[in-house]
Amino acid sequence: MSLEAYQAGPIPAAAGIGLRFMHHEFVLETQPAIAWFEVHAENYFGGGKLRRTLETVRRDYPLSLHGVGLSLGSAVGLDASHLARLAELSNSIEPALVSEHLSWSLTDGHYLADLLPLPMTEEALDVVCRHVQQAQEALKRPILIENPSTYLQFQHSVIPEWEFLRELVARSGCGILCDVNNIFVSASNHGWDPLRYLEALPAAAVGEIHLAGHAERVLEDGRVLRIDEHGSRVAPAVWALYEQALRRYGPRPTLIEWDTCIPSFEVLLDEAGAADRRLRALGSASHARAA
Amino acid sequence: MPALLELQRSFARALQADAAPASLEALQIAGCNVPERLGVYAATRLATLIRTLTLAFPAVQRLVGADFFEAAAREFISQWPPECACLNDYGAQFPSFLQEFAPAARLPYLPDVALLEWAVSRALHAGDATGLDLNRLAALGSAELAEVRFVAHPSISLLQLRSPADAIWRAILEQDAAAMAAIDLAEYPIFLLIERTAGGIQVRRLSPGPWHLTQRLCAGEPLHAALEGSRAEGPAQEPVRDEIDALLADHLLCGRFIDVMSARGARHT
Repeated sequence: MSLEAYQAGPIPAAAGIGLRFMHHEFVLETQPAIAWFEVHAENYFGGGKLRRTLETVRRDYPLSLHGVGLSLGSAVGLDASHLARLAELSNSIEPALVSEHLSWSLTDGHYLADLLPLPMTEEALDVVCRHVQQAQEALKRPILIENPSTYLQFQHSVIPEWEFLRELVARSGCGILCDVNNIFVSASNHGWDPLRYLEALPAAAVGEIHLAGHAERVLEDGRVLRIDEHGSRVAPAVWALYEQALRRYGPRPTLIEWDTCIPSFEVLLDEAGAADRRLRALGSASHARAA
Repeated sequence: MPALLELQRSFARALQADAAPASLEALQIAGCNVPERLGVYAATRLATLIRTLTLAFPAVQRLVGADFFEAAAREFISQWPPECACLNDYGAQFPSFLQEFAPAARLPYLPDVALLEWAVSRALHAGDATGLDLNRLAALGSAELAEVRFVAHPSISLLQLRSPADAIWRAILEQDAAAMAAIDLAEYPIFLLIERTAGGIQVRRLSPGPWHLTQRLCAGEPLHAALEGSRAEGPAQEPVRDEIDALLADHLLCGRFIDVMSARGARHT
Protein backbone atom coordinates (compact mmCIF):
# COMPACT_ATOMS: atom_id res chain seq x y z
CA MET A 1 0.00 0.00 0.00
CA SER A 2 1.40 3.40 -0.98
CA LEU A 3 2.06 6.24 1.44
CA GLU A 4 -0.57 8.40 -0.26
CA ALA A 5 -3.12 5.81 0.79
CA TYR A 6 -2.57 6.91 4.39
CA GLN A 7 -3.31 10.58 3.86
CA ALA A 8 -6.67 10.37 5.61
CA GLY A 9 -6.27 12.93 8.40
CA PRO A 10 -6.65 12.82 12.17
CA ILE A 11 -10.00 11.97 13.73
CA PRO A 12 -12.35 14.99 13.43
CA ALA A 13 -14.51 16.16 16.33
CA ALA A 14 -17.51 14.40 14.80
CA ALA A 15 -19.41 11.15 15.27
CA GLY A 16 -17.79 7.87 14.20
CA ILE A 17 -19.01 4.26 14.24
CA GLY A 18 -17.46 1.10 15.66
CA LEU A 19 -17.03 -1.09 12.56
CA ARG A 20 -17.91 -4.77 13.03
CA PHE A 21 -17.57 -7.72 10.61
CA MET A 22 -21.24 -7.82 9.61
CA HIS A 23 -20.98 -4.32 8.09
CA HIS A 24 -17.67 -4.79 6.21
CA GLU A 25 -19.28 -5.50 2.87
CA PHE A 26 -21.79 -2.67 3.19
CA VAL A 27 -19.06 -0.15 4.03
CA LEU A 28 -16.73 -1.28 1.24
CA GLU A 29 -19.53 -1.23 -1.33
CA THR A 30 -21.38 1.95 -0.38
CA GLN A 31 -18.74 4.12 1.37
CA PRO A 32 -21.34 5.58 3.75
CA ALA A 33 -21.07 9.20 4.87
CA ILE A 34 -19.55 8.84 8.33
CA ALA A 35 -16.66 10.93 9.66
CA TRP A 36 -14.51 8.05 10.95
CA PHE A 37 -14.39 4.42 12.09
CA GLU A 38 -12.99 2.55 15.06
CA VAL A 39 -12.18 -1.18 15.10
CA HIS A 40 -11.18 -3.70 17.76
CA ALA A 41 -7.47 -4.17 17.12
CA GLU A 42 -7.37 -7.90 18.00
CA ASN A 43 -9.75 -8.78 15.14
CA TYR A 44 -7.12 -7.70 12.60
CA PHE A 45 -3.94 -9.25 14.00
CA GLY A 46 -3.84 -11.68 11.06
CA GLY A 47 -3.54 -10.97 7.33
CA GLY A 48 -5.62 -11.79 4.29
CA LYS A 49 -9.04 -10.39 3.52
CA LEU A 50 -9.62 -8.91 7.00
CA ARG A 51 -6.36 -6.94 6.87
CA ARG A 52 -7.09 -5.81 3.26
CA THR A 53 -10.51 -4.61 4.40
CA LEU A 54 -8.95 -2.61 7.24
CA GLU A 55 -6.40 -1.10 4.84
CA THR A 56 -9.20 0.01 2.50
CA VAL A 57 -11.18 1.53 5.38
CA ARG A 58 -7.98 3.25 6.55
CA ARG A 59 -7.48 4.67 3.05
CA ASP A 60 -11.02 6.05 2.86
CA TYR A 61 -11.70 7.16 6.45
CA PRO A 62 -9.83 8.33 9.55
CA LEU A 63 -9.39 5.23 11.74
CA SER A 64 -8.95 4.51 15.43
CA LEU A 65 -7.57 1.19 16.80
CA HIS A 66 -9.26 0.13 20.04
CA GLY A 67 -7.47 -2.65 21.90
CA VAL A 68 -9.47 -4.95 24.18
CA GLY A 69 -6.87 -7.55 25.17
CA LEU A 70 -3.70 -5.84 26.41
CA SER A 71 -4.76 -6.18 30.08
CA LEU A 72 -2.90 -3.08 31.31
CA GLY A 73 -3.86 -3.81 34.92
CA SER A 74 -2.42 -7.33 35.14
CA ALA A 75 -0.03 -7.83 38.05
CA VAL A 76 1.73 -10.59 36.07
CA GLY A 77 2.89 -8.05 33.46
CA LEU A 78 1.99 -7.48 29.83
CA ASP A 79 1.90 -10.32 27.32
CA ALA A 80 4.91 -9.37 25.17
CA SER A 81 3.66 -11.22 22.12
CA HIS A 82 0.25 -9.52 22.32
CA LEU A 83 1.92 -6.11 22.57
CA ALA A 84 4.19 -6.98 19.62
CA ARG A 85 1.17 -7.92 17.49
CA LEU A 86 -0.60 -4.69 18.43
CA ALA A 87 2.56 -2.71 17.56
CA GLU A 88 2.85 -4.50 14.20
CA LEU A 89 -0.77 -3.64 13.34
CA SER A 90 -0.40 -0.05 14.52
CA ASN A 91 2.86 0.47 12.59
CA SER A 92 1.38 -0.98 9.44
CA ILE A 93 -2.04 0.73 9.56
CA GLU A 94 -0.90 4.04 11.11
CA PRO A 95 -4.24 4.80 12.77
CA ALA A 96 -5.06 8.31 13.97
CA LEU A 97 -5.67 7.03 17.52
CA VAL A 98 -4.86 3.94 19.59
CA SER A 99 -6.75 3.24 22.80
CA GLU A 100 -7.03 0.61 25.56
CA HIS A 101 -8.84 0.13 28.88
CA LEU A 102 -8.33 0.75 32.57
CA SER A 103 -8.93 -2.91 33.45
CA TRP A 104 -7.32 -6.32 33.55
CA SER A 105 -8.13 -9.65 31.84
CA LEU A 106 -5.12 -11.89 32.23
CA THR A 107 -3.47 -13.77 35.08
CA ASP A 108 -1.12 -16.77 35.15
CA GLY A 109 -1.86 -17.82 31.58
CA HIS A 110 -5.64 -17.46 31.91
CA TYR A 111 -7.37 -14.91 29.67
CA LEU A 112 -10.71 -14.08 31.32
CA ALA A 113 -12.36 -12.54 28.23
CA ASP A 114 -13.84 -9.51 29.97
CA LEU A 115 -12.66 -6.07 31.11
CA LEU A 116 -12.30 -6.73 34.85
CA PRO A 117 -12.27 -4.13 37.65
CA LEU A 118 -9.09 -3.06 39.43
CA PRO A 119 -8.82 -2.15 43.10
CA MET A 120 -8.12 1.57 43.16
CA THR A 121 -4.85 1.33 45.10
CA GLU A 122 -1.35 2.80 44.82
CA GLU A 123 -0.09 -0.64 43.79
CA ALA A 124 -2.61 -0.88 40.93
CA LEU A 125 -1.79 2.69 39.87
CA ASP A 126 1.93 1.82 39.71
CA VAL A 127 1.18 -1.32 37.68
CA VAL A 128 -1.07 0.48 35.18
CA CYS A 129 1.35 3.44 34.81
CA ARG A 130 4.24 1.06 34.13
CA HIS A 131 2.26 -0.89 31.54
CA VAL A 132 0.87 2.20 29.79
CA GLN A 133 4.44 3.51 29.48
CA GLN A 134 5.60 0.12 28.18
CA ALA A 135 2.80 0.08 25.60
CA GLN A 136 3.49 3.67 24.52
CA GLU A 137 7.17 2.83 24.03
CA ALA A 138 6.33 -0.24 21.93
CA LEU A 139 3.76 1.69 19.86
CA LYS A 140 5.96 4.80 19.69
CA ARG A 141 2.94 7.02 20.42
CA PRO A 142 0.73 8.08 23.32
CA ILE A 143 -2.45 6.07 23.79
CA LEU A 144 -5.88 6.88 25.20
CA ILE A 145 -7.13 4.96 28.25
CA GLU A 146 -10.85 4.30 28.64
CA ASN A 147 -12.67 4.47 31.97
CA PRO A 148 -14.46 1.15 32.68
CA SER A 149 -18.02 0.13 33.50
CA THR A 150 -17.83 -1.68 36.83
CA TYR A 151 -20.30 -3.81 38.78
CA LEU A 152 -18.44 -4.06 42.06
CA GLN A 153 -15.93 -2.18 44.21
CA PHE A 154 -13.18 -3.47 46.47
CA GLN A 155 -13.12 -2.66 50.17
CA HIS A 156 -9.46 -1.69 49.98
CA SER A 157 -9.89 0.83 47.13
CA VAL A 158 -8.62 4.18 48.41
CA ILE A 159 -8.41 6.34 45.25
CA PRO A 160 -11.57 7.57 43.48
CA GLU A 161 -11.56 6.27 39.91
CA TRP A 162 -11.47 9.80 38.41
CA GLU A 163 -8.41 10.66 40.50
CA PHE A 164 -6.78 7.38 39.49
CA LEU A 165 -7.24 8.44 35.84
CA ARG A 166 -5.94 11.98 36.49
CA GLU A 167 -2.84 10.55 38.12
CA LEU A 168 -2.37 8.03 35.29
CA VAL A 169 -2.45 10.89 32.75
CA ALA A 170 0.01 12.96 34.79
CA ARG A 171 2.48 10.11 35.29
CA SER A 172 2.35 8.31 31.94
CA GLY A 173 1.47 11.06 29.47
CA CYS A 174 -1.46 9.05 28.13
CA GLY A 175 -4.79 10.63 27.14
CA ILE A 176 -8.31 9.68 28.18
CA LEU A 177 -11.01 7.97 26.20
CA CYS A 178 -14.02 9.22 28.14
CA ASP A 179 -16.78 6.61 27.89
CA VAL A 180 -19.82 8.61 28.96
CA ASN A 181 -22.03 5.51 29.13
CA ASN A 182 -19.47 3.83 31.39
CA ILE A 183 -19.46 6.84 33.72
CA PHE A 184 -23.24 6.72 33.84
CA VAL A 185 -23.30 2.94 34.47
CA SER A 186 -20.59 2.95 37.17
CA ALA A 187 -21.96 6.08 38.87
CA SER A 188 -25.41 4.49 39.00
CA ASN A 189 -24.05 1.15 40.27
CA HIS A 190 -21.90 2.68 43.00
CA GLY A 191 -23.79 5.86 43.94
CA TRP A 192 -21.20 8.26 42.49
CA ASP A 193 -22.02 11.70 41.10
CA PRO A 194 -21.46 11.42 37.32
CA LEU A 195 -20.99 15.20 36.93
CA ARG A 196 -18.26 15.18 39.56
CA TYR A 197 -16.54 12.39 37.58
CA LEU A 198 -16.76 14.44 34.33
CA GLU A 199 -15.54 17.56 36.13
CA ALA A 200 -12.53 15.78 37.61
CA LEU A 201 -11.10 14.47 34.33
CA PRO A 202 -8.50 16.80 32.80
CA ALA A 203 -10.30 18.27 29.75
CA ALA A 204 -7.16 18.69 27.68
CA ALA A 205 -6.38 14.96 27.99
CA VAL A 206 -9.79 13.80 26.71
CA GLY A 207 -9.07 12.75 23.13
CA GLU A 208 -12.23 10.78 22.38
CA ILE A 209 -15.68 10.01 23.75
CA HIS A 210 -17.55 6.68 23.62
CA LEU A 211 -21.33 6.28 23.64
CA ALA A 212 -23.29 3.02 23.81
CA GLY A 213 -26.45 1.46 25.14
CA HIS A 214 -26.65 -0.35 28.46
CA ALA A 215 -29.04 -2.81 30.09
CA GLU A 216 -30.65 -2.85 33.53
CA ARG A 217 -30.92 -5.87 35.79
CA VAL A 218 -32.89 -6.03 39.01
CA LEU A 219 -30.86 -7.81 41.70
CA GLU A 220 -32.36 -10.14 44.30
CA ASP A 221 -32.60 -7.33 46.85
CA GLY A 222 -34.48 -5.12 44.38
CA ARG A 223 -31.53 -2.86 43.51
CA VAL A 224 -30.96 -2.08 39.85
CA LEU A 225 -27.57 -2.95 38.38
CA ARG A 226 -26.77 -1.28 35.05
CA ILE A 227 -24.76 -3.40 32.65
CA ASP A 228 -22.62 -2.06 29.81
CA GLU A 229 -24.06 -4.35 27.13
CA HIS A 230 -23.53 -2.35 23.89
CA GLY A 231 -26.74 -3.90 22.61
CA SER A 232 -29.19 -0.99 22.33
CA ARG A 233 -29.52 2.72 21.56
CA VAL A 234 -27.83 5.29 23.81
CA ALA A 235 -30.11 5.97 26.82
CA PRO A 236 -31.69 9.47 27.15
CA ALA A 237 -29.87 10.05 30.47
CA VAL A 238 -26.55 9.20 28.77
CA TRP A 239 -27.26 11.68 25.96
CA ALA A 240 -27.86 14.32 28.65
CA LEU A 241 -24.55 13.42 30.34
CA TYR A 242 -22.84 13.56 26.91
CA GLU A 243 -24.07 17.16 26.48
CA GLN A 244 -22.51 17.97 29.86
CA ALA A 245 -19.26 16.32 28.75
CA LEU A 246 -19.17 18.40 25.54
CA ARG A 247 -19.74 21.58 27.54
CA ARG A 248 -16.78 20.77 29.76
CA TYR A 249 -14.34 19.28 27.23
CA GLY A 250 -15.39 21.01 24.00
CA PRO A 251 -16.14 19.09 20.79
CA ARG A 252 -14.45 15.67 20.73
CA PRO A 253 -14.47 12.70 18.33
CA THR A 254 -17.44 10.64 19.52
CA LEU A 255 -17.90 6.94 18.83
CA ILE A 256 -21.16 4.98 18.66
CA GLU A 257 -20.42 1.43 19.91
CA TRP A 258 -22.77 -1.54 19.37
CA ASP A 259 -21.50 -5.09 19.94
CA THR A 260 -24.41 -7.41 20.75
CA CYS A 261 -27.56 -7.77 18.63
CA ILE A 262 -25.88 -5.45 16.10
CA PRO A 263 -28.53 -3.60 14.05
CA SER A 264 -28.45 -2.44 10.43
CA PHE A 265 -25.91 0.21 9.52
CA GLU A 266 -28.74 2.74 9.14
CA VAL A 267 -29.53 2.50 12.86
CA LEU A 268 -25.86 3.19 13.67
CA LEU A 269 -25.90 6.17 11.28
CA ASP A 270 -29.01 7.42 13.05
CA GLU A 271 -27.26 7.26 16.44
CA ALA A 272 -24.20 8.95 14.95
CA GLY A 273 -26.51 11.69 13.61
CA ALA A 274 -27.87 12.24 17.12
CA ALA A 275 -24.29 12.74 18.41
CA ASP A 276 -23.43 15.03 15.47
CA ARG A 277 -26.46 17.24 16.19
CA ARG A 278 -25.21 17.76 19.75
CA LEU A 279 -21.67 18.48 18.54
CA ARG A 280 -23.04 21.06 16.07
CA ALA A 281 -25.30 22.62 18.70
CA LEU A 282 -22.23 23.06 20.90
CA GLY A 283 -20.36 24.64 17.96
CA SER A 284 -23.13 27.21 17.30
CA ALA A 285 -23.51 27.91 21.03
CA SER A 286 -19.81 28.75 21.33
CA HIS A 287 -20.07 30.87 18.13
CA ALA A 288 -22.98 32.73 19.71
CA ARG A 289 -20.92 33.35 22.84
CA ALA A 290 -17.96 34.57 20.78
CA ALA A 291 -20.23 37.00 18.86
CA MET B 1 -5.42 -5.93 51.93
CA PRO B 2 -4.65 -8.55 49.26
CA ALA B 3 -1.78 -7.75 46.90
CA LEU B 4 -2.93 -7.19 43.29
CA LEU B 5 -1.56 -10.52 42.07
CA GLU B 6 -3.33 -12.49 44.82
CA LEU B 7 -6.56 -10.60 44.19
CA GLN B 8 -6.43 -11.32 40.47
CA ARG B 9 -5.72 -15.02 41.09
CA SER B 10 -8.71 -15.28 43.45
CA PHE B 11 -10.89 -13.35 41.01
CA ALA B 12 -9.87 -15.69 38.17
CA ARG B 13 -10.73 -18.75 40.28
CA ALA B 14 -14.09 -17.25 41.19
CA LEU B 15 -14.94 -16.52 37.54
CA GLN B 16 -13.83 -19.86 36.17
CA ALA B 17 -15.55 -22.08 38.70
CA ASP B 18 -18.37 -22.02 41.17
CA ALA B 19 -16.48 -20.11 43.80
CA ALA B 20 -16.37 -21.29 47.38
CA PRO B 21 -17.40 -18.60 49.90
CA ALA B 22 -13.84 -18.51 51.26
CA SER B 23 -12.41 -17.39 47.94
CA LEU B 24 -15.12 -14.72 47.60
CA GLU B 25 -14.08 -13.45 51.04
CA ALA B 26 -10.50 -13.04 49.80
CA LEU B 27 -11.72 -10.67 47.08
CA GLN B 28 -12.80 -8.10 49.69
CA ILE B 29 -15.66 -6.89 47.55
CA ALA B 30 -17.60 -4.02 49.10
CA GLY B 31 -21.35 -4.03 49.66
CA CYS B 32 -23.90 -6.68 48.92
CA ASN B 33 -25.00 -9.12 46.19
CA VAL B 34 -21.38 -10.19 45.68
CA PRO B 35 -22.16 -13.46 43.82
CA GLU B 36 -24.68 -11.66 41.57
CA ARG B 37 -22.21 -8.88 40.77
CA LEU B 38 -19.39 -11.32 40.09
CA GLY B 39 -21.88 -13.28 38.02
CA VAL B 40 -22.17 -10.38 35.56
CA TYR B 41 -18.47 -10.76 34.73
CA ALA B 42 -18.69 -14.56 34.60
CA ALA B 43 -21.67 -14.35 32.23
CA THR B 44 -19.92 -11.88 29.91
CA ARG B 45 -16.85 -14.10 29.86
CA LEU B 46 -18.88 -17.19 28.99
CA ALA B 47 -20.95 -15.38 26.33
CA THR B 48 -17.80 -14.01 24.67
CA LEU B 49 -16.10 -17.41 24.59
CA ILE B 50 -19.21 -19.24 23.35
CA ARG B 51 -19.60 -16.62 20.60
CA THR B 52 -15.92 -17.08 19.68
CA LEU B 53 -16.42 -20.84 19.29
CA THR B 54 -19.66 -20.34 17.33
CA LEU B 55 -17.83 -18.08 14.86
CA ALA B 56 -15.02 -20.60 14.42
CA PHE B 57 -17.25 -23.72 14.20
CA PRO B 58 -20.49 -22.70 12.43
CA ALA B 59 -20.96 -26.04 10.63
CA VAL B 60 -20.52 -28.01 13.87
CA GLN B 61 -23.14 -25.76 15.45
CA ARG B 62 -25.62 -26.39 12.63
CA LEU B 63 -25.00 -30.14 12.73
CA VAL B 64 -25.78 -30.44 16.45
CA GLY B 65 -28.12 -27.48 17.00
CA ALA B 66 -27.60 -24.32 19.08
CA ASP B 67 -28.47 -25.84 22.49
CA PHE B 68 -26.24 -28.88 22.11
CA PHE B 69 -23.42 -26.67 20.81
CA GLU B 70 -23.69 -24.32 23.75
CA ALA B 71 -23.58 -27.21 26.23
CA ALA B 72 -20.51 -28.64 24.48
CA ALA B 73 -18.88 -25.19 24.35
CA ARG B 74 -19.43 -24.65 28.11
CA GLU B 75 -17.82 -28.00 28.89
CA PHE B 76 -14.93 -27.22 26.51
CA ILE B 77 -14.39 -23.76 28.07
CA SER B 78 -14.15 -25.27 31.55
CA GLN B 79 -11.65 -27.89 30.34
CA TRP B 80 -9.66 -25.63 28.03
CA PRO B 81 -9.93 -21.99 29.17
CA PRO B 82 -8.18 -19.53 26.82
CA GLU B 83 -4.55 -18.73 27.61
CA CYS B 84 -4.14 -15.49 25.70
CA ALA B 85 -6.19 -12.50 24.61
CA CYS B 86 -6.11 -13.19 20.90
CA LEU B 87 -9.39 -15.12 20.67
CA ASN B 88 -8.82 -15.89 16.96
CA ASP B 89 -6.37 -18.48 18.33
CA TYR B 90 -8.93 -19.99 20.72
CA GLY B 91 -10.49 -23.36 19.94
CA ALA B 92 -7.56 -25.46 18.65
CA GLN B 93 -8.46 -28.31 21.04
CA PHE B 94 -12.19 -28.24 20.28
CA PRO B 95 -12.00 -31.01 17.62
CA SER B 96 -10.17 -33.42 19.95
CA PHE B 97 -12.53 -32.44 22.77
CA LEU B 98 -15.50 -33.40 20.56
CA GLN B 99 -13.81 -36.74 19.83
CA GLU B 100 -13.99 -37.53 23.57
CA PHE B 101 -17.35 -35.80 24.23
CA ALA B 102 -19.69 -38.74 24.89
CA PRO B 103 -22.97 -36.98 23.91
CA ALA B 104 -21.51 -36.42 20.39
CA ALA B 105 -20.53 -40.07 19.87
CA ARG B 106 -23.52 -40.72 17.57
CA LEU B 107 -21.99 -38.28 15.03
CA PRO B 108 -18.62 -39.93 14.29
CA TYR B 109 -17.87 -37.35 11.55
CA LEU B 110 -18.32 -34.36 13.92
CA PRO B 111 -14.64 -34.16 15.05
CA ASP B 112 -13.57 -34.27 11.39
CA VAL B 113 -15.86 -31.35 10.49
CA ALA B 114 -14.44 -29.49 13.50
CA LEU B 115 -10.87 -30.19 12.34
CA LEU B 116 -11.75 -28.80 8.92
CA GLU B 117 -13.37 -25.69 10.43
CA TRP B 118 -10.34 -25.08 12.64
CA ALA B 119 -8.11 -25.28 9.54
CA VAL B 120 -10.43 -22.83 7.74
CA SER B 121 -10.29 -20.47 10.74
CA ARG B 122 -6.49 -20.69 10.82
CA ALA B 123 -6.36 -19.95 7.09
CA LEU B 124 -8.63 -16.92 7.63
CA HIS B 125 -6.57 -15.43 10.48
CA ALA B 126 -3.00 -16.41 9.51
CA GLY B 127 -0.53 -13.61 8.96
CA ASP B 128 0.42 -12.46 5.48
CA ALA B 129 3.54 -13.96 3.89
CA THR B 130 5.09 -13.57 0.44
CA GLY B 131 5.74 -16.61 -1.72
CA LEU B 132 9.34 -17.78 -2.18
CA ASP B 133 11.37 -15.90 -4.79
CA LEU B 134 12.11 -18.63 -7.35
CA ASN B 135 15.50 -17.06 -8.16
CA ARG B 136 16.67 -18.26 -4.76
CA LEU B 137 15.99 -21.87 -5.79
CA ALA B 138 17.52 -21.36 -9.24
CA ALA B 139 20.77 -20.24 -7.58
CA LEU B 140 21.18 -23.59 -5.75
CA GLY B 141 23.24 -26.56 -7.02
CA SER B 142 21.53 -29.96 -7.30
CA ALA B 143 23.18 -31.29 -4.10
CA GLU B 144 21.98 -28.25 -2.15
CA LEU B 145 18.55 -28.52 -3.77
CA ALA B 146 18.12 -32.10 -2.56
CA GLU B 147 18.77 -30.96 1.01
CA VAL B 148 16.61 -27.83 1.14
CA ARG B 149 13.70 -27.56 3.51
CA PHE B 150 10.74 -25.40 2.73
CA VAL B 151 8.78 -23.17 5.12
CA ALA B 152 5.07 -23.45 4.39
CA HIS B 153 2.74 -20.45 4.20
CA PRO B 154 1.09 -20.02 7.64
CA SER B 155 -2.41 -20.33 6.17
CA ILE B 156 -1.83 -23.94 4.99
CA SER B 157 -3.22 -27.03 6.74
CA LEU B 158 -3.12 -30.63 5.51
CA LEU B 159 -5.76 -32.96 6.90
CA GLN B 160 -6.31 -36.68 6.47
CA LEU B 161 -9.88 -37.40 7.58
CA ARG B 162 -11.88 -40.59 7.99
CA SER B 163 -15.14 -39.07 6.86
CA PRO B 164 -16.14 -36.83 3.91
CA ALA B 165 -16.07 -33.78 6.21
CA ASP B 166 -15.58 -31.37 3.29
CA ALA B 167 -18.82 -32.46 1.62
CA ILE B 168 -20.70 -32.39 4.95
CA TRP B 169 -19.24 -28.94 5.74
CA ARG B 170 -20.30 -27.46 2.38
CA ALA B 171 -23.74 -29.05 2.42
CA ILE B 172 -24.60 -27.90 5.94
CA LEU B 173 -23.33 -24.33 5.45
CA GLU B 174 -25.14 -24.01 2.12
CA GLN B 175 -28.20 -25.74 3.61
CA ASP B 176 -28.17 -28.08 0.62
CA ALA B 177 -30.31 -31.05 1.71
CA ALA B 178 -29.86 -32.89 -1.61
CA ALA B 179 -26.05 -32.72 -1.35
CA MET B 180 -26.27 -33.86 2.27
CA ALA B 181 -28.45 -36.84 1.34
CA ALA B 182 -26.01 -37.86 -1.41
CA ILE B 183 -23.00 -38.12 0.93
CA ASP B 184 -21.65 -41.66 1.28
CA LEU B 185 -19.95 -42.04 4.65
CA ALA B 186 -18.31 -45.33 3.64
CA GLU B 187 -16.05 -44.54 0.71
CA TYR B 188 -13.30 -42.58 2.45
CA PRO B 189 -10.58 -41.42 3.91
CA ILE B 190 -10.05 -38.04 2.26
CA PHE B 191 -6.89 -35.95 1.92
CA LEU B 192 -7.37 -32.18 2.14
CA LEU B 193 -5.31 -29.08 1.49
CA ILE B 194 -6.74 -25.95 3.14
CA GLU B 195 -5.21 -22.57 2.33
CA ARG B 196 -5.90 -18.90 1.81
CA THR B 197 -5.46 -17.56 -1.70
CA ALA B 198 -6.21 -14.15 -3.21
CA GLY B 199 -9.66 -15.54 -4.01
CA GLY B 200 -10.44 -16.57 -0.43
CA ILE B 201 -10.23 -19.78 1.62
CA GLN B 202 -9.74 -22.90 -0.51
CA VAL B 203 -10.55 -26.45 0.63
CA ARG B 204 -9.31 -29.01 -1.94
CA ARG B 205 -9.01 -32.77 -2.06
CA LEU B 206 -5.62 -34.16 -3.14
CA SER B 207 -4.74 -37.74 -4.12
CA PRO B 208 -2.99 -39.63 -1.31
CA GLY B 209 0.48 -39.54 -2.94
CA PRO B 210 0.69 -35.78 -3.56
CA TRP B 211 -0.92 -35.15 -0.15
CA HIS B 212 1.73 -37.20 1.70
CA LEU B 213 4.57 -35.54 -0.20
CA THR B 214 3.11 -32.07 0.41
CA GLN B 215 2.62 -32.87 4.07
CA ARG B 216 6.27 -33.94 4.45
CA LEU B 217 7.49 -30.81 2.65
CA CYS B 218 5.27 -28.51 4.71
CA ALA B 219 6.50 -30.23 7.89
CA GLY B 220 10.03 -29.16 6.89
CA GLU B 221 11.51 -32.45 5.68
CA PRO B 222 14.39 -31.95 3.22
CA LEU B 223 13.22 -32.34 -0.39
CA HIS B 224 15.15 -35.58 -1.07
CA ALA B 225 14.07 -37.20 2.20
CA ALA B 226 10.45 -36.21 1.60
CA LEU B 227 10.53 -37.84 -1.86
CA GLU B 228 12.17 -40.98 -0.44
CA GLY B 229 9.75 -41.05 2.45
CA SER B 230 6.63 -40.84 0.34
CA ARG B 231 8.10 -43.52 -1.99
CA ALA B 232 8.66 -45.82 1.02
CA GLU B 233 5.00 -45.45 1.96
CA GLY B 234 4.17 -47.81 -0.92
CA PRO B 235 3.06 -47.69 -4.50
CA ALA B 236 -0.47 -46.52 -3.67
CA GLN B 237 0.87 -43.31 -2.20
CA GLU B 238 3.82 -42.76 -4.53
CA PRO B 239 3.25 -39.94 -6.95
CA VAL B 240 4.63 -40.60 -10.43
CA ARG B 241 7.49 -38.44 -11.68
CA ASP B 242 5.37 -36.10 -13.82
CA GLU B 243 2.92 -35.69 -11.00
CA ILE B 244 5.77 -34.72 -8.63
CA ASP B 245 7.11 -32.10 -11.02
CA ALA B 246 3.65 -30.64 -11.58
CA LEU B 247 2.93 -30.69 -7.83
CA LEU B 248 6.17 -28.88 -6.90
CA ALA B 249 5.67 -26.34 -9.69
CA ASP B 250 2.12 -25.71 -8.48
CA HIS B 251 3.23 -25.29 -4.85
CA LEU B 252 5.97 -22.83 -5.84
CA LEU B 253 3.82 -20.83 -8.26
CA CYS B 254 0.95 -20.60 -5.76
CA GLY B 255 3.30 -19.30 -3.08
CA ARG B 256 2.69 -22.24 -0.71
CA PHE B 257 6.35 -22.05 0.33
CA ILE B 258 7.55 -18.75 1.72
CA ASP B 259 11.14 -19.54 2.64
CA VAL B 260 13.86 -22.09 2.07
CA MET B 261 16.46 -23.33 4.56
CA SER B 262 19.57 -25.51 4.25
CA ALA B 263 19.64 -28.93 5.93
CA ARG B 264 21.29 -27.38 8.98
CA GLY B 265 18.58 -24.79 9.33
CA ALA B 266 20.47 -21.81 7.89
CA ARG B 267 18.45 -19.60 5.60
CA HIS B 268 19.40 -19.66 1.91
CA THR B 269 19.40 -16.06 0.72
